[in-house]
Amino acid sequence: MDFDAIVIGGGHAGIEAAMCMSRLGFETMMVTQNLDCIGKMSCNPAVGGLAKGNMVREIDALGGEMGRLIDATMIQFRVLNRSRGPAVQAPRAQADKKAYEVLAKKTVERQDHLHLYMDTVVDLTFDSSGRTVTGVVTQRGKRMSAKVVVLTTGTFLNGKVFIGEYSETAGRLAEPAAFGLDRTLAGLGFRMGRMKTGTPARVARWSLDFDKMEEQFGDDDVVPFSFSHTSVNRPKLSCYITFTNRQTHRVLEENMARSPLYSGLIVGSGPRYCPSIEDKVVKFPDKDRHQIFIEPEGLDTEEMYLNGISSSMPEDVQEAFIHTIPGLEHAELMRPGYAVEYDYIDPSQLYPTMEAKLCENLFIAGQTNGSSGYEEAAGQGLIAGINAARRLQGAPPFVLSRAEAYIGVLCDDLVTLGTKEPYRMFTSRAEHRLVLRADSCDMRLFEKGYELGLHPEARYEAFCRKRDTIAEIKELLQKRHLSQNDFDSDAASAMNGKKLLLERHVGKSLYQILKDPQLSLADVQYVAPELVEANGEIIPGEWLRQVELDVKYEGYVARQEKQILRMDKIERIRIPDGFDFDAVTGLSTESREKLNQIRPLNVGQASRISGVRNSDIAVLMASVQRRRS
Amino acid sequence: MQTNYTSTDDCIVALATPYAESAIAVIRASGDHCISYADRLFSRPGAIATADGNRAHVGYLLHPDSRERIDQVVCTVYRAPASYTGQDSVEVSCHGSLSVIQACLEAFRAAGFRPAGPGEFTLRAFLAGKLGLTQAEAVAELVRARTRTASTLALGRLSGRLERRIEAIKQSLLRVLAGVEIQLDYPEEDTGEVPHDIASLIRARDDVAALADTYRTGALYQDGVLVALAGATNAGKSSLFNALLREDRSIVSDVHGTTRDYIEASVDVGGVPVKLVDTAGLRDVDEQVEGEGIRRSGQIIARSAAVVYLVDATAGVSTGDEQNLASFAPDKPVVKVWNKVDLLPVDHAVPEGYIRSSVETGEGITGILDALFSRISGGAAALTGDETVVDSARQHDLLRRAAEALERTIASVHDGMPADIVAVDLQDAVGALGEITGEVSTDDVLETMFGGFCVGK
Repeated sequence: MDFDAIVIGGGHAGIEAAMCMSRLGFETMMVTQNLDCIGKMSCNPAVGGLAKGNMVREIDALGGEMGRLIDATMIQFRVLNRSRGPAVQAPRAQADKKAYEVLAKKTVERQDHLHLYMDTVVDLTFDSSGRTVTGVVTQRGKRMSAKVVVLTTGTFLNGKVFIGEYSETAGRLAEPAAFGLDRTLAGLGFRMGRMKTGTPARVARWSLDFDKMEEQFGDDDVVPFSFSHTSVNRPKLSCYITFTNRQTHRVLEENMARSPLYSGLIVGSGPRYCPSIEDKVVKFPDKDRHQIFIEPEGLDTEEMYLNGISSSMPEDVQEAFIHTIPGLEHAELMRPGYAVEYDYIDPSQLYPTMEAKLCENLFIAGQTNGSSGYEEAAGQGLIAGINAARRLQGAPPFVLSRAEAYIGVLCDDLVTLGTKEPYRMFTSRAEHRLVLRADSCDMRLFEKGYELGLHPEARYEAFCRKRDTIAEIKELLQKRHLSQNDFDSDAASAMNGKKLLLERHVGKSLYQILKDPQLSLADVQYVAPELVEANGEIIPGEWLRQVELDVKYEGYVARQEKQILRMDKIERIRIPDGFDFDAVTGLSTESREKLNQIRPLNVGQASRISGVRNSDIAVLMASVQRRRS
Repeated sequence: MQTNYTSTDDCIVALATPYAESAIAVIRASGDHCISYADRLFSRPGAIATADGNRAHVGYLLHPDSRERIDQVVCTVYRAPASYTGQDSVEVSCHGSLSVIQACLEAFRAAGFRPAGPGEFTLRAFLAGKLGLTQAEAVAELVRARTRTASTLALGRLSGRLERRIEAIKQSLLRVLAGVEIQLDYPEEDTGEVPHDIASLIRARDDVAALADTYRTGALYQDGVLVALAGATNAGKSSLFNALLREDRSIVSDVHGTTRDYIEASVDVGGVPVKLVDTAGLRDVDEQVEGEGIRRSGQIIARSAAVVYLVDATAGVSTGDEQNLASFAPDKPVVKVWNKVDLLPVDHAVPEGYIRSSVETGEGITGILDALFSRISGGAAALTGDETVVDSARQHDLLRRAAEALERTIASVHDGMPADIVAVDLQDAVGALGEITGEVSTDDVLETMFGGFCVGK
């Protein structure tokens, strides 16, 4: 064997998979078409956002890279949804794209046991059974063998770029598509399809009239994505907001016949939640304007990203409609917007470990699985890497449940339901949203990352300090009761306007008081100075916030946790490897087919497959249990 | 999105023997901490909590709050995993009268036990892996049989009208929910801050509550109803009351002796536990037109599900009787009894709408009970057929869950809670309604699987 593991692709999925396996000591080869494109952000210059920000922090808590990369290269930070409750607040950062790529490349280059090679993988090799992967073959005829292969081809597999009537075979504009693996996968029996996604034009900063737009600043207070960072000190740039108008829409309508989306050139399904501007104009004819965020692509570039108006219209149409927008009248286009169409595999052909059911030791992650987004790709890449490594270790699979992490929801959704459009994470996909808060990712997952061997001791000790301090603070809040004397002390002046509110709570524990929606931890802090300092050190505000949210929403979380526990029980009824669904009498034909296709790992997963009937789940439960006894 | 609130390790209780008169009834309870909870119900503190598994203890079952003795019982403790469900379990054998059974179950509920759903004990046994090879096969067979029955029941019972009504409510809530979710997932869209559609929420809550209220029969049998015995002093109320008590079907006389305000007793009327209140201790309504007596009597009648109104046949319908009858709410079911017919010639005329009766000879008592049953059960005849009626316990429970979730949603909005919190309850409401119209959820799976068993098995 040349290597323990080969990772095909150096995007966000490939990075996590390769870093994780090499970190665990496995000789890992990352083969990429272009070494200069490692960690490239193909579309928007941002990481995080709703549910996605949570995933970045989950990746970090498990020992992945993305959080550290963005912390070091951000140029603006904001917490979204500040007013809408803790479960849906999410960190989002504008990235300096080039800096992100450079750091990503440096990180993989300097990682022990990780090797890089620039070539294009065009085929896989198999053992005599034809059902176990043994290595890869590259475009230049190089053969490399490995025990496991992680495939992360992104939008490059059979990729085709469209700009109006123009099209080229490419995975990103002017970057050659990859061919060969599509045939290999089809040969293995994979059901494959075409998907489409798009990106907007980039315009020159100096050509924009910012006076006609609204400036959007970042937060002053930056919360690092990574739990190993206590602060982030980075230059800050603003974004700008403007809107399309009737004239913009008229330009688009008049040229609709020239859109590859509507002329029939593009056959792949695009994302409903992130439509191109021509899609928006067609589907929402009543809306007379659409919002645009103008985002800097980095510190050292004039390129600005026009978030909200992705388009595959011909370049002259793009230019014309962009010039109708306030502030963009004289915008100079540097890169046109375009659509890209590519091959994806139906992800229901994977186990939740991201291993292909059709081929042993072959793991597939990222956009190849029909997902969209850097964070979704990275999350899958990490899970694929972890499980490929565990295969090498002979350890049991590592799967996160829907109640533990958005990454768990992501993998479960993909492998159970498949996807008909590029899959993007939303908070509303998670039934256990309240416990999947961005601030609590470490409490949910850090321990797991450590057990997997992905955290160094020092980082784990820091986590333990935080975990223990949080527990101590909660205990203190339980023990300490508000007394009338507290109002006589000097500190009472610090009560601000909350004195009347607080007086209603005399006799109660601080823990109980904190449940009052009108009171915060800051309001009770003066009563117990231990809440400010622990072991001579100021307790970070973020830790206190975690305590506060835990306490405040405990009741609601308890309601959800009840569901989680309940759900866990059927999740824990495992369906043994190689379980013969055909041997179960009493299953309906349709359910049998679906079960054979998806091959669920447990009864919970089976129950979520569409088309599998309740009664069949009951029959399945009974026969799985019988098999066990 | 899946929602369910039934846990598989909280404490549940149910009657394991039929709800009927018998020498002994067995009440079964299971769940984590179930033994220490049950200890609070037992007359000998600590006896149950420290008991070995598979050991029976004799003592009194007490109400956990009032510490009043309910019955002498045998309490058997089963420790996990050596029990039917695989969890800590307790079985109480009590005397098999309906009132004792009810009081015991009530005590369990007061101690924190939840009434078990159909098949819940078996479900737990199953999930704990307590069912072996043959049992699992039996379950599978049963499940298939039950599923067909269950789905026929669920779908068959669900008239198109009910389904359409629930679907309409659900759609209105989904629109509200979608509005909330869009704001949560697209914080940067220029949708602005859209206020919660509180009017839709309130309308939905009222609709759901109204639907839930149409469910009568189930609640009737479970919770019973209050029936007032009214009439002039000499009409024979006390005699009828005593006659009913003498009947085998009477359970126990539960006299509030200290205040002597009124006398009440529980009587089984066609299987419905009826709390019969005799207003004998009150001053007669026809003598004192105003005052405390009328007020109390009026309160009892207002609260009652039906009134049994006695008229002394030898005196005829007096002006007082007419006034009294007219004073009842127009929709109040009234069983009018023409009493003391044994003192009149056999062929005398009975006024229309009255049941001919003689408490002395026992004539007509069956007729009174039959009439009472049909009034309180709101028998099929009482329905015009135009109402949308919920008639399964499952639907009713889900409607109640939806109504409660909506109540919490409205409260959260009112308290200014953040949208993600508001969404929790709103999703619960939508989920509950979805389960009624047959959308698949984890709950449904388990329900369908074990719902066919009777409660407590």
